[in-house]
Amino acid sequence: MLGRFDYERPTSLAEAARLLTECGSSAAVLAGGTDLLVDLRAGRRIVRLLVGVKRIDALRRLDVDSAGELTIGAAVPLNEMIERAAIRRTHPGLVQAAESIATYQLRNRATAVGNLCNASPAADMAPILLALGACLIAWSPRGERTIPLSSLFVGVKKTCLAPDEIATELRVPAPEPGLRSRFLKQQRLRGHDLAVSSAAGTYAPSTGVLRLAVGSCAPTPLLLEPIEVGRSSRAAVEEKAVRAVQVAMRPISDTRASADYRRAVLPVLVKRLVADLLAEGGAP
Amino acid sequence: MTRELRVVGTSVPRDDAIDKVTGAARYTTDLALPGMLHATILTSPHASARIVGVDLTDARSVPGVRAVLAGSDLDVRLGLYLRDKRILARDVVRYQGEPVAAVAADTLDVAREACRRIRVEYEELPAVFDPRDAMAAGAPLVHPDLAGYDHMRGVFFPRPGTNVAHHQKIRKGDAPASLAAADVRLEASFYNPPVQHVPMETHASIAQALPEDRVEIWTSSQSPYTVRHLLSVCLGLPHAAIRVHVPYVGGGFGGKAGLGLEPLATVLSRAAGGRPVLVSATREEEFNTMPSRQGLHSTIKIGSTCDGRITALEATYVWDAGAYADYGVNVGRAAAYSGAGPYAIEHCSIDSYVVYTNKVYGTAYRGFGHLEVLWGIERVMDQMARKLGLDPAEFRRRNLLKEGDTTITGEPFTAGHGKPVECLDAVAKAIGWGRPPAAASDPRKVRGKGIAMLHKAPAMPTYTSCAVVIKLDEDGAADVLVSGVDYGQGTYTVLRQIAAEELCLPIGKVHITWECDTALTPYDWQTVASRFSYMGGNAVIEAAADCLRQVRAVAAQALGVAPETIVCEDELAFPAAEPGRAIAYKDLALGYTFPNGNAIGGPIIGHGRFIATGLTHLNPETGQGRPAQFWTYGAHAVEIEVDTETGEIEILHIATAVDAGKVLNPLSCTGQVIGGVVQGLGSTLHEGFQFDDKGQLLNPSFVDYKIPTAKDLPRRMTPIFLENPQPGGPYGARGVAEHPMISVPSAIGNALADALGIDYTVLPLSPERVLLGIQKKDKTP
Amino acid sequence: MPSELTLLEFLRNRLYLTGTKEGCGIGECGACTVLLDEKPVTACLVLAVEVDGCIVETVEGEATGGQLSVLQRAFVETGAVQCGFCTPGMIMSARGLLRRNPNPSDEEIVEAMAGNLCRCTGYEAILAAVRRAAAAVRPAVGPLAGEVGLADGRSLRGAVPKRDPEKGGRR
Repeated sequence: MLGRFDYERPTSLAEAARLLTECGSSAAVLAGGTDLLVDLRAGRRIVRLLVGVKRIDALRRLDVDSAGELTIGAAVPLNEMIERAAIRRTHPGLVQAAESIATYQLRNRATAVGNLCNASPAADMAPILLALGACLIAWSPRGERTIPLSSLFVGVKKTCLAPDEIATELRVPAPEPGLRSRFLKQQRLRGHDLAVSSAAGTYAPSTGVLRLAVGSCAPTPLLLEPIEVGRSSRAAVEEKAVRAVQVAMRPISDTRASADYRRAVLPVLVKRLVADLLAEGGAP
Repeated sequence: MTRELRVVGTSVPRDDAIDKVTGAARYTTDLALPGMLHATILTSPHASARIVGVDLTDARSVPGVRAVLAGSDLDVRLGLYLRDKRILARDVVRYQGEPVAAVAADTLDVAREACRRIRVEYEELPAVFDPRDAMAAGAPLVHPDLAGYDHMRGVFFPRPGTNVAHHQKIRKGDAPASLAAADVRLEASFYNPPVQHVPMETHASIAQALPEDRVEIWTSSQSPYTVRHLLSVCLGLPHAAIRVHVPYVGGGFGGKAGLGLEPLATVLSRAAGGRPVLVSATREEEFNTMPSRQGLHSTIKIGSTCDGRITALEATYVWDAGAYADYGVNVGRAAAYSGAGPYAIEHCSIDSYVVYTNKVYGTAYRGFGHLEVLWGIERVMDQMARKLGLDPAEFRRRNLLKEGDTTITGEPFTAGHGKPVECLDAVAKAIGWGRPPAAASDPRKVRGKGIAMLHKAPAMPTYTSCAVVIKLDEDGAADVLVSGVDYGQGTYTVLRQIAAEELCLPIGKVHITWECDTALTPYDWQTVASRFSYMGGNAVIEAAADCLRQVRAVAAQALGVAPETIVCEDELAFPAAEPGRAIAYKDLALGYTFPNGNAIGGPIIGHGRFIATGLTHLNPETGQGRPAQFWTYGAHAVEIEVDTETGEIEILHIATAVDAGKVLNPLSCTGQVIGGVVQGLGSTLHEGFQFDDKGQLLNPSFVDYKIPTAKDLPRRMTPIFLENPQPGGPYGARGVAEHPMISVPSAIGNALADALGIDYTVLPLSPERVLLGIQKKDKTP
Repeated sequence: MPSELTLLEFLRNRLYLTGTKEGCGIGECGACTVLLDEKPVTACLVLAVEVDGCIVETVEGEATGGQLSVLQRAFVETGAVQCGFCTPGMIMSARGLLRRNPNPSDEEIVEAMAGNLCRCTGYEAILAAVRRAAAAVRPAVGPLAGEVGLADGRSLRGAVPKRDPEKGGRR
């Protein structure tokens, strides 16, 4: 059903890279597999070798260091991240985004890194990680590369990763004191669904900077220019944010929604997001 | 109905649940026969094309392939009411997704590999997708040879030279004149897109061609005898040459009511030298190849007096049958005779057209056209009420059928029909109708209330019948044999309860044979139309009486008394005046043996049957006649909350009343209501096929075809049952299986009109549709 | 073992454990839910080769010594089972939930079960079964949560006759 391929399960990055290089474009990394296997079944991708990476210790890291920087390994299932109390406390928007993905069962397999590398314009992890200023670490025999997420997405389902690069982990910089983060996703129903529109944001009262990112409204997820809130009223900030989104978005009509609906609803999400982030005495 | 019932009317849990919760229940794809092959289907990428050539040579050369077939190999025509279909497309394809060729091989992977190597050359032809376009002069003909097709004469009227597979007319009184003269008139048009049943188990069939032109079939089906009959007709075999087994079935909802993959499995097995062949639809094939629920365009005009009495109703229903007529013609027929709603209307004119288009074909679906028709009818009722300045519930009260009225087919409405007004009152009370909704918690949200009536009778042939056999075991337990299928609705448990009640057996000693087998279990028409509990129940009562007659006869002879003096109680038979001289059923079940060794009687086997009574064909010009064995009425009332910025609807409370006549099992009746309401919510809020301008189905999977999940439930659902008895129903019961789904969209559409002042006419009421409607209204001066 | 064999195919076609069902093959419907090292996953999106060294639990293991578990009994009693095709997946999702969270809130139950589609029941009875199993209440005969109401105000639960339905009646 999935085609015919071999499967290897290396225990080191070097070994994984070697296998991938040998097979070239007919090999693929298998982490959660929830996008890949669906593509294989549909014949959208054909592979000769799957390189399972869940046994590589380096890719299983999920920790916060003393400075507050968060590392999410490429093989860490979403549920593991969601259930980590420390992350729920400091990065609620990240958890909201992860919780919105698919079903409980799929979240035991799917990974944040996988979601990003699949690079759907509607990738649910992208907006919040963009707003958080996260970077993706990519490993190849030529060395390690730190890719700011804002450079990762180059087109619909296209990243800037080279064929011999393996994404190994996400690094989310230490949050500013009291940083608030939120994610909102418009779906067709309350049950599991892809995003019709999505928006994420962070706001640090200490710096007064509002960062917004939007998804499912352009060929790639978009990070908008940061907004200095200063003394502006909430309504003024909302208006500024909405204008920025309306300028940046290039929505299409597809099976999920029309461009008209996306144009109508994304500003609503952004306004609600900003209101929540700027709320007086709001929690992180 | 005043005798005290012991087990009928109680919430006996189903015993099949045990097989299902342990994984022991075997569905068709859980079966494996020795040497069984696996099949795949090659489908058409085009909505309308001529098949120029099919090259199977490469496919046949793949090792492990045992049969490859294309339409040109098979000269067989299928059809339930109109024989317009092939097993595999021959000469032309009529919808994207239509089966063109098939492979049977040792494994599914081999079959798929071979399928990939089949070469088909197509020449695209003009296609038509909207049934209204298909009715216009000069439209491409989906079936140019319509004139030559066999069909059920006197009941269905295809129009050769057009795309009209059937036209049903209702003519009562003089609707055009009455409308013209009405105090107040209203006209509106509505649309239901095609949707899919989405049973959790997709279609699957196994067939084994046996020597001497016989075939044995195991299939996920609602109707083993219909499968047998239709195969008999299309293959030219006697009925006894075809044996159909139905194991556990994972949901049907009408999609498995007729022929599915059985013919294909049969011809593949023949071509594979008699090896059994399993054909099982992938989920994508279930959406794109297997049949759907017809779409409907409706236009309704009603006329009323100023004080709210409807005087006339005119409706035009244009059904999108898709590429083949299947059940679609009967849906068009049934929807016509029900097509004015449960109201007393003196002048009525309905034209119901079933029209071919180049899309996946429609079949029976829970509600059989009534959800689609009542979407329009119940919305128009509300619109007229508003126009008259009347409360919508009150407007309905003034027009609902009451004793002494006649329906639009001239059928008198009697006390035995039940009480639609009571259903209306019950749901109105449950949601506090008449009181405006409480304020929404959020200023961006608006609340509204809506109400809608529902009605349906079984849409079935005038001669529909059912037979039941009950045999007693050595230990005095009873086995009930039926060929109706329990595909989740719980009828088998109800039939066990009835048998236990009538036979004076504890429920634990009444068993029902789970698998249907046309060689062994007696005839049942089809498990559709909400008629199985009614007809099967009556047949069980008769069969049980037959068993007890035999029990009494043998006991009487054994005891030397007259049979009329024997009573049966608690598995014992004894003379009423001498309870001490009891003989246990177990000592009679296989005959009675005297102490000296003489034996009398024999194995006790009772049979019962039921045939529809008093039904008539409908007059082809006027639709007058008696199509309904019984009617079931009901109502929904709903309170919703709408997010005016995103268009999302939340159902706060939905109350559903059904006049069940007698609730045979509260647990399963409640299950039918909750399940039906949620399935109705799917049609209302989320579901609909989307096609591009070349007729390609754009959402053939769960990624983009969404059904309700556990997160999509109303905050509160209130099922309410009325028990106004149905004469002729077992214990006064009527069918209730389809009804809870009907009119759910109408109630919610009415609530939206209340909340927003907007009349939505197209389903589904997705957030997008709702929001764009709000925006349009805001822009209109 | 071919690498491309999914865990679902392996369970059904190699081990003949047909309790786990295929509903869609793309992880959307939950019918193929099993426990993989105690975590609910959709077996259609797991390769059999990936579970080497792991523990896989299917519905066939839920009953022990021929006795239904409390969870299974709850499903039977609340009317959570109609056609039964979604049932094994539902049972495994519920089992996974009750292992990691023996006292789940209503919201947690919905979140755990929402990845399993059902077309027949409308879910209420299934959620009630999980609640009941969590509460480990002694099974009682009767309809699911909420009275079955009649229009005249009577409740059908009240209409369950006093005589033991297990005994035979009189004709």
